[in-house]
Amino acid sequence: MFKARMKFAKEGRAKYISHLDLMHTMQRAMARCKMPLWFTEGFNQHAYVSVALPLSTGYSGECEFLDFNLLTKTVPENAVHQLNAVFPKGLRAIEIYPLSNGGMKIADITWSKYRITWGFDSPVPAEFPKAVYALFGQERVEVLKRSKRGEKLVNMREFMNGQPELSLFGHIAVCEVQTGAGSQTMSPEYLTKAVRQYLPQYPISDEAYHRLCVYTAQGLPFR
Amino acid sequence: MLDSKLERILSKVQKPARYAGGEWGSVTKNKKDVDLRFAFCFPDVYEVGMSHLGSRILYGLLNDQDGIWCERVCAPWVDMEQQMRDAGIPLYGLESGDPLSAFDIIGFTLQYELSFSNILNMLDLGGVPVLSSERKELKNLVVAGGPCAYNPEPLCGFIDLFMIGDGEEIMLELTNLYRSAVKRSLSKHEFLVEAAQITGIYVPALYEVSYHEDGTICKVESCDGAPAFVQKRIVKDLNTMYYPDYFVVPSTDIVFDRAMVELFRGCPRGCRFCQAGHTYRPLRKKSAETVMQQAKKILENSGYEEISLSSLSTSDYSELSDLTERMLNYCEPCHISLSLPSLRADSFSAELMERVQKVRKSGLTFACEAGTQRLRNVINKNITEEDVLNACEIAFRGGWNHVKLYFMIGLPTETSEDLDGIAEICKKVAYCWRMNTNNRARGVKITASASCFVPKPQTPFQWDAQDTLPVLQGKQDYMKRIMKTKNVTYNWHDAQTSVLEGIIARGDRRQGRAILLAWQRGCKFDGWEQHFQFDTWMQAFADCGLDPMFYAARPRPLDEIFPWDHIGCGTSKAYLAREWQRSRHAEITPDCMRQCAGCGCNALLEGGTCCV
Repeated sequence: MFKARMKFAKEGRAKYISHLDLMHTMQRAMARCKMPLWFTEGFNQHAYVSVALPLSTGYSGECEFLDFNLLTKTVPENAVHQLNAVFPKGLRAIEIYPLSNGGMKIADITWSKYRITWGFDSPVPAEFPKAVYALFGQERVEVLKRSKRGEKLVNMREFMNGQPELSLFGHIAVCEVQTGAGSQTMSPEYLTKAVRQYLPQYPISDEAYHRLCVYTAQGLPFR
Repeated sequence: MLDSKLERILSKVQKPARYAGGEWGSVTKNKKDVDLRFAFCFPDVYEVGMSHLGSRILYGLLNDQDGIWCERVCAPWVDMEQQMRDAGIPLYGLESGDPLSAFDIIGFTLQYELSFSNILNMLDLGGVPVLSSERKELKNLVVAGGPCAYNPEPLCGFIDLFMIGDGEEIMLELTNLYRSAVKRSLSKHEFLVEAAQITGIYVPALYEVSYHEDGTICKVESCDGAPAFVQKRIVKDLNTMYYPDYFVVPSTDIVFDRAMVELFRGCPRGCRFCQAGHTYRPLRKKSAETVMQQAKKILENSGYEEISLSSLSTSDYSELSDLTERMLNYCEPCHISLSLPSLRADSFSAELMERVQKVRKSGLTFACEAGTQRLRNVINKNITEEDVLNACEIAFRGGWNHVKLYFMIGLPTETSEDLDGIAEICKKVAYCWRMNTNNRARGVKITASASCFVPKPQTPFQWDAQDTLPVLQGKQDYMKRIMKTKNVTYNWHDAQTSVLEGIIARGDRRQGRAILLAWQRGCKFDGWEQHFQFDTWMQAFADCGLDPMFYAARPRPLDEIFPWDHIGCGTSKAYLAREWQRSRHAEITPDCMRQCAGCGCNALLEGGTCCV
């Protein structure tokens, strides 16, 4: 048995595939391209696959990771191409590589970089970025954060790595930001929530989230 | 790419993957290369629609044709429908995202009477007038087929034409005629008159129904050269029949999420309550070789980890032993499990059991249908209590600890003794487990489900009255009191939905107004208990001057003309009447493999001999 990792993108129509369904979809796609997968033994035999930091349903991402086990000693030639030929629309394999010495640990992922797209009903006022920078330039920005243990008022700055960056395109504002992942996780939706709460003069009508990259605590791109 | 308006609402609904399309195996064509666009509509949610084998076959068949693009359309769940209506998004084809009104032919599959209100709702949501008379053009021709088309009358006002019987051949004859009609600039009426000449096509507008004073039918007359009697179509040879070599593989969980291959069509058994058993005749089988080849292709192209060999009575497949062995040799190394639905308790063997649990263990269900031998003879379900207990003994010895038993209540001639018999069988099965299990500590789960019998058209019980709601509810209460055996979980089916099913199943075309009214008053997803509005339905019938009990709870004389008498299912009415008479004496009729009972279906085959 040999461990491999796939970096993939989940975009377009595939955004709506939930985490559990994504695993089934991956298992079936791998069966279609005859990937020599290792199966668990026992009562319910299945191909072992594991998705690192699954995206919320409805989010897209271009830096997603799937770990799986192969029966072969190397990654089959052309694996990326073969898999892409049998994926449903919106899923795209980018790279498949062996995990020598176990590779980077999922637990090492500390930050996720997201691109948040805010849609407005009218052109975004030019001073909107300034207002957002001023908001997140403060040391404390309190929001009510939900967790398994209930709701708690937290300082969301502690869950953000640096400042968000904004650019405007007509009715749309694009915000790139690094938020906590893994043990210190914070959904990028809290940025939208904070803008709605603290800057109600800029009414966001719809929003979309896309994960661009994930990093370790040392700031290295995870792979 | 998805429409941005649609994207906005998809983040607000449950299970959005079912509305996004783009699944593996879904077919996209260039609109410029296409001259006929077909919307294949399933009037229930995606998870149910995508599980339906017939739809998968016809989707593949139509897309296999040059110039035809077939797309899938399912009923959006209520949250999605609300969002769509609020945002002004019409119901759309999953492949192109184009509204239903952009399609040339809109085809519905009729699996269940309680999905009829969804048909109206889908048309309306798609921007297509629900009434046939309001659709003047050839475009947006609304067609339908499937089991409920054997009594199409309640839907006559909404559907332009029905296809009766197997769809594989008739569908292409219809689409060919449609394409030629467009080229010849025929009007909708001219097209329908020509379509009625295709064997198996029923154009309701070409038939005039007159009634006696008591509400029964006096006569049905055809016009414009339409045949007086529309016999169903069958595909004679299943080995050469089209079968898809790929399936759409949904990216979200559906009800039957697996590969499927049919073993045969038709059923040799002749259970008297069963519509499928009488309308899918004659028996036609695929060779084991064909089944193997088709299974391999579907499995390779889908990546499914389970395959089901389906039919109405799988253990009656003559090559089953050889086929399951070959199938396992192929499946086991690929970690693919094999499931065999519709196994009969009287032919369940240790060998077969071992094969179905080789890779993954699945559930076991036995249909006993009735609680006493007398009643099982009345319905011609020729299995005995001993058969059931034998099958359970094999299963429990083999380590199974979950068995499901199916029953019906409200069958013709039923008495309280028959209900007691259901409890008795369950008790014996529980005892059988105690005596045969290797591990009592693990416990057992015996699930007994009782549904309410609905007399269906084109069966020997089409003359029978259905139990009324108070009677069914009384029987259910009685069952709840007597089903007290430890380890037996008793499930029952809501009697109100069965009553409405009974009303519509044997309805006539006068019911169309009530269906329209019920839908206008908000009825949809009637098969889903949380949305079912029984009182609204009853009020709709009353407001149309119709007595629902005239349809459901009235015993009919043997010489009555039925609303579906001009639709042929292959089995003759004379045979059905003979079977009804035999049932009153609890007289059984042997299965087709033992002796031909003369149902008349052999006339549909060349040479007039069934292959059993």
